[in-house]
Parts: sequence; structure tokens; C-alpha cells
Amino acid sequence: MSFIADKSVYKSLGFCGVGDGANLATIDVKDGKVVRVRPTHLDEVWSKEQVNYWTLEARGSTFEPGMKTLLPPLALTYKNREYSKNRVPYPLIRVDFDPNGERNPQNRGKSKYRRISWDEALDICAAEIKRIQETYGPASILCQADGHAETKSAAGTHGTNVTMFQRLGSGCTVQARNADSWEGWYWGAKHVWGMDPVGEQTSLTNVFKDISENSDAVLLWGCDCETTPWGWGGQISSRSLYWWKEIGIKQICICPDLNYTAAVHADKWIPVLPNTDAALQLAIIYTWMTEGTYDRDYIDTHSIGFDWLEYYVLGREDGIPKTPKWAEEKCGVPSFTIKALARYWAKSRISIGHGNGGGMIRSVFSHEPARLEVYLLAMQALGRPGCNQFKFLEKALFYDPRTNPYPRSQVMPNTQACYVSMLLDAEAMGTNFVPKTLIPQAVENKTFDWYGHTVCAFPAHDQFVHYQFPGPENKGIHMIWSDAPCWQTCWNGGFLFQDAVRNPDLEFYMVQHAWMENDTVFADIILPVTSKMEEYDIDNDVESGQFCSLYLEEPAIEPYVEARTDFQIAIDVAEHLEKFGGVYEGLKAKVTQNRTTEDWIREGFMHSGINTEEFTWEDFKEKKLWVSPTVENWQDEPAGLINFYEDPERYPLETPSGKIEFYSTALAEQFPDDTERGPVAHWVEETDVHHERITSDRAEKYPFLLMSNHPRWRVHAQHDDCIWLREISTCKMKGPDGYAYEPIWINPADAKRLGLKHGDIAALYNERGRVLGGVYVTERIMPGVLYQDHGARADTIVHGAGGLDRGGANNLIAPNGIISKNCAGEVTNGFLAGIEKVDVFELAEQYPEQFNRAYDPDCGLIPDSWIVKE
Amino acid sequence: MKAFLVNPDVCNGCHNCQIVCKDEHCGNDWSPYAKPQPDTGQFWCKLEERVRGTVPLTRISYWPVIGAQDEALREYAPEILQDREDGIIVIDPEKAAGRKDVADKFEGVYWNERLQIPQGCTGCAHLLDNGWSVPRCVDACMTDALLWVDEADIPENAEKLSEGSHVYYVNFPKRFIGATVVDYAADEVVIGARVMLKDAQGAVVAQTETDDFGDFIFKQVDAASFTVEIAKDGYELQSIAVDTHDADVNLNYVDFKAVA
Repeated sequence: MSFIADKSVYKSLGFCGVGDGANLATIDVKDGKVVRVRPTHLDEVWSKEQVNYWTLEARGSTFEPGMKTLLPPLALTYKNREYSKNRVPYPLIRVDFDPNGERNPQNRGKSKYRRISWDEALDICAAEIKRIQETYGPASILCQADGHAETKSAAGTHGTNVTMFQRLGSGCTVQARNADSWEGWYWGAKHVWGMDPVGEQTSLTNVFKDISENSDAVLLWGCDCETTPWGWGGQISSRSLYWWKEIGIKQICICPDLNYTAAVHADKWIPVLPNTDAALQLAIIYTWMTEGTYDRDYIDTHSIGFDWLEYYVLGREDGIPKTPKWAEEKCGVPSFTIKALARYWAKSRISIGHGNGGGMIRSVFSHEPARLEVYLLAMQALGRPGCNQFKFLEKALFYDPRTNPYPRSQVMPNTQACYVSMLLDAEAMGTNFVPKTLIPQAVENKTFDWYGHTVCAFPAHDQFVHYQFPGPENKGIHMIWSDAPCWQTCWNGGFLFQDAVRNPDLEFYMVQHAWMENDTVFADIILPVTSKMEEYDIDNDVESGQFCSLYLEEPAIEPYVEARTDFQIAIDVAEHLEKFGGVYEGLKAKVTQNRTTEDWIREGFMHSGINTEEFTWEDFKEKKLWVSPTVENWQDEPAGLINFYEDPERYPLETPSGKIEFYSTALAEQFPDDTERGPVAHWVEETDVHHERITSDRAEKYPFLLMSNHPRWRVHAQHDDCIWLREISTCKMKGPDGYAYEPIWINPADAKRLGLKHGDIAALYNERGRVLGGVYVTERIMPGVLYQDHGARADTIVHGAGGLDRGGANNLIAPNGIISKNCAGEVTNGFLAGIEKVDVFELAEQYPEQFNRAYDPDCGLIPDSWIVKE
Repeated sequence: MKAFLVNPDVCNGCHNCQIVCKDEHCGNDWSPYAKPQPDTGQFWCKLEERVRGTVPLTRISYWPVIGAQDEALREYAPEILQDREDGIIVIDPEKAAGRKDVADKFEGVYWNERLQIPQGCTGCAHLLDNGWSVPRCVDACMTDALLWVDEADIPENAEKLSEGSHVYYVNFPKRFIGATVVDYAADEVVIGARVMLKDAQGAVVAQTETDDFGDFIFKQVDAASFTVEIAKDGYELQSIAVDTHDADVNLNYVDFKAVA
């Protein structure tokens, strides 16, 4: 017998790509079953010479990227996802949904489902689309798509529904994908230093080399490079940090929690209360200003408006100097540590590392700490050798080759030509779009307005255009078609979303998804989607930081029961719409463009950017993997912002003045009355909308700040059913009722004061509702702060505002409001909550039906409680 | 003879080793080497973690434990092992049928209730015999914290968790003692203070200076009783008794007074 495999195929096991893949894995298949998911050894197909293997030497040591892909556990546990007991097997219809009679929208999230055939399901979907389009107009159909899903190209996901309506020519209302992991950078930093589209430093070429050679320290500020990059780009961050330690680069972690980076890499951990980084930053600036320890000459030549910052920081504007003592009260960092950090920084060469997410960048007013960080970098001569901002993920952000800080590959193979979905396209937006953060309001057909498309890939000036809902042609939202059913567990104020999708104006709600999770169980019709293993596709790995590659993704196994690809579902809906003739005539061909899957894949390959004369389609079909060589003499390319540092006139930034704008001329002009995001970054205590400070009135009832990172053992809401992850003690905690609860970290001093013990089950609560979790008493969290990963699978006991969730999906109780008045970004971190012990057996008596949902102790909720067996 | 070499100093706690062991063996029948491992509950390769210290000097050490690769097993029940020249311990699923005593006796050997056999790490012998150069857990380690080496190449200072084990550790975590030295009256950390670590007999076992943050740390010290002495010109000598028998010690903020 074979102990290895009958066949092996390549798959991208990144979990958030929008055509940009990651985590190239080799899948071994035997007897029609996936037996093994393993790192790909590139050198089984391509030699080191062929890929122009790079190494980096610095301070007498050599960094090796290796020829083995650096997979995270989230990829290696994929078999759990593939063979999950929680898969959607076949099309389902809600038992009390009758398109020709009672629709019972109030029962969404509560009622069960029964099996129907694909034909029946597609007939209903097509008829509803036609009816809604004719009754209310095409803008009354909201398409929800998102990057929070598996990485696919020709197989779809991320907006095949939008594609179908575009090909139809009618359009739809598009859910505009906000800058969820970049909010502060997007809304704030861009107005200081440009850096479109997301606001983090874009010019990252050779910054890995620059830091390795020149930096004394890196500040890992609010980021967890041992966690967040996993779903997007694997584990090169970890190797990099260990190597930096070996060659003597100090690592200072500034975050409320001892995140997984601080846990193993920190030379110094500075705990800071969630979303108070702005106070700490201002006090560092104060120290530099009063001690004269910043680069005044650089400020004169590279920036504008510095005097406005001095005016504010030194207290001339409001009578309050932003001293370390002032900051200590707000941020919880002792003033002597703030001064020590400021002085160490002033005499050293320091870069700041980010991995997106974290408490600093996803909370209320997050544009302020983001802007202040750029101020800090500027005051110590940003761009000087050793002084840049570094990113631990997104090494191919929207295919911009400058965003890779590691030695650059000659070709970043692109799959856009066969990317059949639409997610970030301006073309698809038209005027009918809704910021993702405002979806509940739109679905309830409220009237509201905002600025900008809010889409993460759009430039800074887009933030100055005013929009309103409903638009002139829009008669409200009456149908949702979603391929990304995790709004309530990934966005802000999820309990309001639950209310919104149960309102009677929403006449039809269809979801296509592979797993029975989160928003899925609110739909009227559920369509089953294939997993990565079951599809034929093409993908790239451009996010690993090692070597860019392009590979053929042959199906490993047969589709699960009746599952179809996302794109096939859009095609099938089109085919069923064709039955109505008229405008729908020929729609299927418009969607498929008369191409087979193989045609699409070939199209993707031919336009990937690789030289297809040297390496032909036939070569690709045979070899299945192409790896790009590293550019020759990569080490000679200017590092980071060195050109701007050396000659700001010749190499200006993308700001209106071309320089660093301490005072944003554009914001001053566009929003002269904005006190939340003024021309100069400030400490914003609270506003009419947001009272999320420990000094706020609400803190009397909800005294803790809740911190919630991108999860360690999930990619947002994905992977919550993985049985080998759920066995890990920081992933789930078994309650006395046998249910696996999401851990809530609490400092031992707080736990003692509240009488909470490790292993107790408690509720996190505020006026928006309650979510349960297991009490995890640990020195990994500072006093006054609670920590719970976000994205746990919702298991809602009481729906809607003020509700109760057993799964620990804390986005349900995140603030409903946007970042600030003119910034429609999300707030999902650093908000007020209380904690109290609960008796799960009492709750089970109170809510017997919900507490008795079919449950597998290994994988959690299973569909049996949702599907009525015939 | 091959052996595992673990370096907890570069183990990031990702659990890849623990997970791919399950990926390889749960639901896969590699007879005659190994029968399927139950879907959950067994950890032939188990990642351990120790949360050390207190806020703000909290750190974590991780290390994998591979229990079944131990000569004690061969001594106790040679009759259930497969004959191999490379010395890897492989419990034969046929010969070991019914031997619950083995699972009861050894950490890292688990009783499979359904199949009525004891099971544990096989060193992925089925792969090594078929072209693989390392076991799955080693292949999945992204930071070289877990290596597969010739036993002859194991560093001399390496330790083992048990006498007969084929799993060796370098930099296995001991204890740390650390603090931030602060002149509260001046509201400043004290930089460049000399810090001495003395053992119970008063002998200096380590010394250092406080850094730019007023911090000092002694790493890899024994579980024992110590005295920490902090000195700097112009300050009163500070002497603090420290006991690391139970845990690492964060002395937190030490109030260091200037001479009046």
C-alpha cells in the first residue's frame, strides 16, 4: 500500500485574499480522501538557482527564508474545516418561509430548515430577484460580499452575486467593503502622509533589510505578528522576529494584552489601556518638544504645520500641556516609563511594526492614534536608515509590488483576469452602495448620510464626497443575497444586524455558504458551497514574503453532497432567470462569457504577468507550479522612504503639499467644523455618540475596557469548528455543561476583586447585550481590561438589541456607531463592558430550546438542530 | 540513531507540531505502523505552555513533548514494539492489542478505547521508510524549534525530560527574576544601576545593569533562594530576598531612593 498519497495537489490556504493568495500547501489525497495537508517544498519542483534564492546578511548573521512554505496552524488544520460536521449539505429553505404566502421574517434566526432541490431553490431565488427588481427596482437588492472567506479566483466567492447583476446590466446595491483592519490608518494617517490606499506605509521595498542593518529597536505597537499574519501570509514574521532578536534588535511591545508576539518576543512589554495610545503618543511628543530631542531640521524641510501641533501639545490651545503625568491617568502607563521610552527613542533608530488590527486601530476615533504615530515617526526623521513603518502582512496589498518589505520577486503573478467576483471595484458601486458599517440601518430602510465610498482600496480624496441612503432611485432594501454570512460576528453592533434582518421590509434573504454558521441561519434560502478542496481553480502565493508563485489548484476530492462553487451558483441563478426572458435573456452566457472553468483558468494564467512563451500553458498544466525568481540585485533598490528622506522635493509624498502634514490642509478645507477629526490630531475624550472611556458615565455600569484582537485560532469568523484547534487551552474552555466557551481573559487582581475563578462561565455585557465566555484568569492582561478574541461563532439565545449570545461573539455588543462623525469605519475594539458570573444551568432552564441545540463536543454546533429531517 | 531536538527559545507556540501529528494519524490507517488515532483527545506530540511572571513582566515559554519515544517503553514491554534498526520506538498495533497497562504507565502513550490498543508517537516511521526525511511535526515547524537530528550530534548541554527519552532540549526554561528600578521621588526610572544576584551563601551568581527603561532581568536562574542587590552612586543600597522555587519572579517597580 501507499503510505504517501495517490495524488497530490496544490491549494492556497489563505483565508482573506481578494485574488491575492497565500499559504501555498500541498494536499495529499488517498482513496478519494484528503489524508494530509502539508507545507509545500518548492525545491521539489524548482531549484534554488531557478528562483534566485535570496538570503539576507546583517550583523554577522544570515536570514534564510527557506524553500518550504511557512504555513500557519489555520492552514494545517484545514481537514477539520473540510470534514466539519457543520457543512451545509444541500439547498435548504426555512420551514415557515412561503414566497407565495407567509414569509415570517420575524422568525429568521429561530426557525428550522428543510431540504429542497437545487431546481426548487434556484426557481425561488430567480423569481424573487425578478419580483423585487420589477416592484422596487434593482437597487432594492443588497449584495453582501466580503474578503472574510477562502481565497479563490475562478471558483468565485467575494462577490459573484455582484458580478451577475453587473453582467445583467441592472446593478444592485453593493455592500461597500470598509477598511476594517486599517480603519485608523485609512481615515487618519492618509491625511498626514498620503500612502493610499490604506494609509500604512506603502513604500516598503527593502525595509526588512533596512531594519536588519540599521535599527536599534522595533516597536510592535498594538499588533500581533504571531497571529494576525497567519491567515494572510504564514509565519515569516515569526522567523524574522527571532532573527532580529539574535542580531540584537530590541523588541518593544505596546499593547493592553500580552499578545502572542509579546509573549515570546518582547524585550519590553508596555501595557497600555485599550484605545488610549493617543495619550501615550502625545506625552512622548511633549517630552521631545520640551527636551528638544527631535529633528527640527527635518521638520522644517519635510513637513508643514508643526507649529499647530506644538500649540496643542504644549497646552496653549486648551490650557492642558500633554505631559507624561497627564497621559498616565488616561493610558495607564507610568509617566516614568513614558519618559524613558521617549528618551530611548530619541537616541535610537526605531521602526514601528504593524500587523493590522489590534486595539489601537479599530476603536472609536482610531484616526487619532494613527495620525499621531506618523507624527512620532516624522519627528525622528522618518525614512532615515532604520526609521520606517514596517508591516508583517499584506506583502502584495492590492498587487502593489512596493508593499513587500522582503526581497522582491521578479513577477507577482496576478489572477485578476480570471477573478470572477466583484468586491472592491468602483465600477460595481455606481451610486447604489452602503458602507458595510451602516448595513443594519440600510436594511431597516432608515435615512442617513456619510462621506466616501469607504472602500478600503479607494484613495484619500474619496473621503470628501457626500452620499446618502436611500439614493434617488432607491426604494429601500427588500432583498439580501450574501456570500459572506458573517456580518454579525465581524462587524460592529451585531445585535442590531439581527434585528434588521428580521424586519418585514426585508422580503427575501438568500445566503450561499459552505458552513452552517453565523448569518447563514437567518436566511430564507441557504445554498451549499464547495470548499477549496473540491474546486478546480488557479491561485497565487504573493503574500508569503519568500517567493511569489502561481499554481494550478486541481480538485482534491469530490464536492460535499450537493455543494457547488460560488460562481456556479451565480451562473445557475442566471440560468433560472433566463426562463423569464426579456431583460434576462442570454444572461447565463453573459455571466460565463461562454468560458468553461478551464477556459477561465487558462485566461488567468495567460494574463498572470509571467512570461508565457518561456513557460507555456502546457508547461503549467504539467508542472502545476511556477515560482518567480527574486529580482537581480534586489539589495540595491532604495529602502523604504529613504528617497523622501534625502530629497523631499524630488520624491514628494501623496499629500496635497507633498510633505508630512501635521496640519492637514485637506481636512481643514473639507471639514472645517469637525471636532472629532480636526486638521491636527488630538486626544478625543468622548462625543455625543461615543462614551467608551473609563472616565465616561457608562463606565460606572460597564467598568472594563474590552480588548479584542484578530483571533489566534480563527481568521475572523472562520475555523471556529476546527476540532484540533478547539482542543487548545487558549481556544475554548469547557464549561460545567460540557459546552466549549470562548475564553475571557481577566487579570488575577480583577478576578479576585469580583470573586471570579478560572473556569467560571461569565457574561460580558453592556446595554447592547450579553455574550458568554469562560473566565480565563491570567497575567496576560493588564488590570482594568478584559480580553476576548473576536469572531467566535454566534450561538444566539436571545436575538436583537439587548440580546444574549452563548458563543462569545463579542462583535454583537460592539458599538453601533461609526468611528467619528465623518468617518464611517467600524468600532470593534476597546469599548466598555462589564463582567459577571452566570449559572449556565439556570440559563438552560430559562432557555431550554436554545440551550439544547444539537451540539458536538468536538466541533460545536452542528446543523442537526437547524435541519428538519424528513 | 535519530532523535528530536527541541529549542523552546524559538518555539512560538503555534501548535503546528501538535496539529500535523493529528493530521497524519487521526482518521488515517497506516497499518502495520499505526492504527488511526481518535479524532480528539490524544496528543502524541503535545505542546506545553508555561505563563511566566506577572504584568508587565509576563512571558510565555512553549515546548513540545513527545512522550512515547522513550527507551523505558522498550525496557518495560519490548514484545509490543516493532523491530527497527533506526531505534525509533513503534508500538505494533497487533502485538500491543489489549495492553492498557502500557498506556496507564507512560505519559504520551494513550489508550484507544475503540480499538483496544495503546498508541503513541511512531516517529512517522511509515513516512521515513517511504522517502520522507523528517517526521510530520518537524516538517511543520516553521522556526526550527523542533529538529530531527543524529543522536550523535545532540549538544552536550542538552537535557531530557526522562532518562531514556529520545527527545532532547536545549534552553529548557528555568526561572527569571526581573524588575524596573524607579526613583519615585524624581518620577524617573534609574538607568545604569548595578544589580547583583547572590545565592543563599552570598556568592554572586550573576550581575547586570538596569537598561534605558530602568529594567533588569536575570534569565535561566535556578529554582532557589537568592538576594538581589541594587546599587548606584547617590542611592541607598537596596537588598531584596527572592525565592524562585515556585515560579519566576517579577519584583515589579522597585522604589530606589536617592541618598538624602
